[in-house]
Amino acid sequence: MNLTPAASTRRARAVFPAVLLLLAALIIVALLVGDVPLSPAEIWAGLCRQDAHAATIIWDLRVPRLLVAMAVGAALSASGLVMQAYFRNSLASPDLLGVSGGGTAGAVIAIGTGWASASLLVLPMMAVLGSLAATGAVLILARRGTGPERLLLAGIALNALLGAVTGYVLTNFTVSYERNAQIIFWMLGGLEDRGWKHVWMAAPIPLAAALLWPLGRPMDLLSLGADEAQSLGVDVRALRRRLLALATVMTALATAVAGTVGFVGLVVPHVLRLLVGPEHRRLVPLALAGGATFVLACDLLGHLAGLRVGIVTALVGGPFFLWLLRRAP
Amino acid sequence: MNALELDHATVPGRLTDVSLALPAGTLAGLVGPNGSGKSTLLQIAAGLLPPGGDVQWAARPVADIPMADRGRLAAWVPQEARFEFGFTVRSVVAQGRFAHGDDGHGVDDALAQFDLMALAERPVTRLSGGERQRVLLARALATDAPLQLWDEPLAALDVRHALATLQLARSLTRGGKTLLFSLHDLRVAHCLDLLIVLHEGRRRAIGPPATVLTPALLLEVFGVRASIAPDLMLQLP
Repeated sequence: MNLTPAASTRRARAVFPAVLLLLAALIIVALLVGDVPLSPAEIWAGLCRQDAHAATIIWDLRVPRLLVAMAVGAALSASGLVMQAYFRNSLASPDLLGVSGGGTAGAVIAIGTGWASASLLVLPMMAVLGSLAATGAVLILARRGTGPERLLLAGIALNALLGAVTGYVLTNFTVSYERNAQIIFWMLGGLEDRGWKHVWMAAPIPLAAALLWPLGRPMDLLSLGADEAQSLGVDVRALRRRLLALATVMTALATAVAGTVGFVGLVVPHVLRLLVGPEHRRLVPLALAGGATFVLACDLLGHLAGLRVGIVTALVGGPFFLWLLRRAP
Repeated sequence: MNALELDHATVPGRLTDVSLALPAGTLAGLVGPNGSGKSTLLQIAAGLLPPGGDVQWAARPVADIPMADRGRLAAWVPQEARFEFGFTVRSVVAQGRFAHGDDGHGVDDALAQFDLMALAERPVTRLSGGERQRVLLARALATDAPLQLWDEPLAALDVRHALATLQLARSLTRGGKTLLFSLHDLRVAHCLDLLIVLHEGRRRAIGPPATVLTPALLLEVFGVRASIAPDLMLQLP
């Protein structure tokens, strides 16, 4: 790219409003499109709760689904961005490192044992526990300063291990066909039948995003080396702890409400970095908005094509990842 | 007053019981064979490794200095510059102002000092090794920290930039800053105020270069025989 600095800054500034505009447009489309055809007038009546039938469809089906899609996208994309800066590795992401897999294993245990039916909090908490365990394992397997190969190999090993845990629960714990089906559907990643209880499960995500927002600048320094960052006045230990906690919790909650939705944390930060450069003060808000936009778009696409959102993100993300590997020096 | 004081600094297996004191305004060099502990000593001096002893900057124990203040008091340059993300040269140098609230002071000057103006908008991932080294040196300069700790700043530089860097180092210490850097080229040592020789993790000698670099020490520490002969002389025009 042969842009003058002024032109590239102008373009970088234009990206955030453009993403917000796209997100707003997708929100409107998501309200308009659904299994039950409604006219714009009916939708308006539903939004204003003047038509009971339309109001149910809008407020109990479409709005929660759209909110969950946005929360999941924002969480996964921001987690990917954080992990890439943390590990100084642009291939790091919650799914490749096994953090999503940890959340899946935790949640599958919660469903398989039946604990999840005890309280609304059990499923997300088990997902968080699973993700925390996976994050801890990645940290131990890939000590700092290790190259990208070691980190990704640690992720592969961890994903295989967590897959075994999930498979064990699936074959040995489950008593009812129904619960098994629930697990499998859930593992494929989907946003069907998401209701307000899922919105509440995902409610800490905006809070985590708000905590992440001001960390963009120190993330810049961290992404060029921990020792360097510390010598420049960043409290690296505190920053790393905070970043990892936020990324893990966001990934876990996204996994708890939507199952396994892959590649978001890899694709979105990469595309945004290509568009606006590596400065995290810009990337953090953009990753949140861009992730929400991406998952919402994938869900709409999947809805129209009859595919679950996890399948759509994998169809988009898989080829993108291969392209990235080819491109990497 | 001493700008840097190390008291019995020890890192198991890497450095044993090293003490030294650098008065403010000193241009000091750190020499020793590969693996003698030079980088470890610089990291300890920069407060990046637990010293197992005492480290003081301007008579303040480093352990008591809040992280945010450290970025204003000392700058450290690593031996190897590795960048994963394509920040521009200017934005990496501007990171030197992080501890000053990103005020951007002196960034252009630091770029100019290291001959980086023409590269200012280029991503650091597309630089040569020597250029990357100069970016990190410029970032250290931009911090305006009174204590500068550079790990082999000259190793990757071509002869002109190496001489310019030495000249800049001298002008920094004339201005009251204190600079400690490691080096391999002993022919540079003669222009320093103070030379510290490390050998197998221990301080083997410390003092003015002329008194430290004796043929006996060179043979013992580096395993080379020294002789003085007419040589190719290189100077900045």
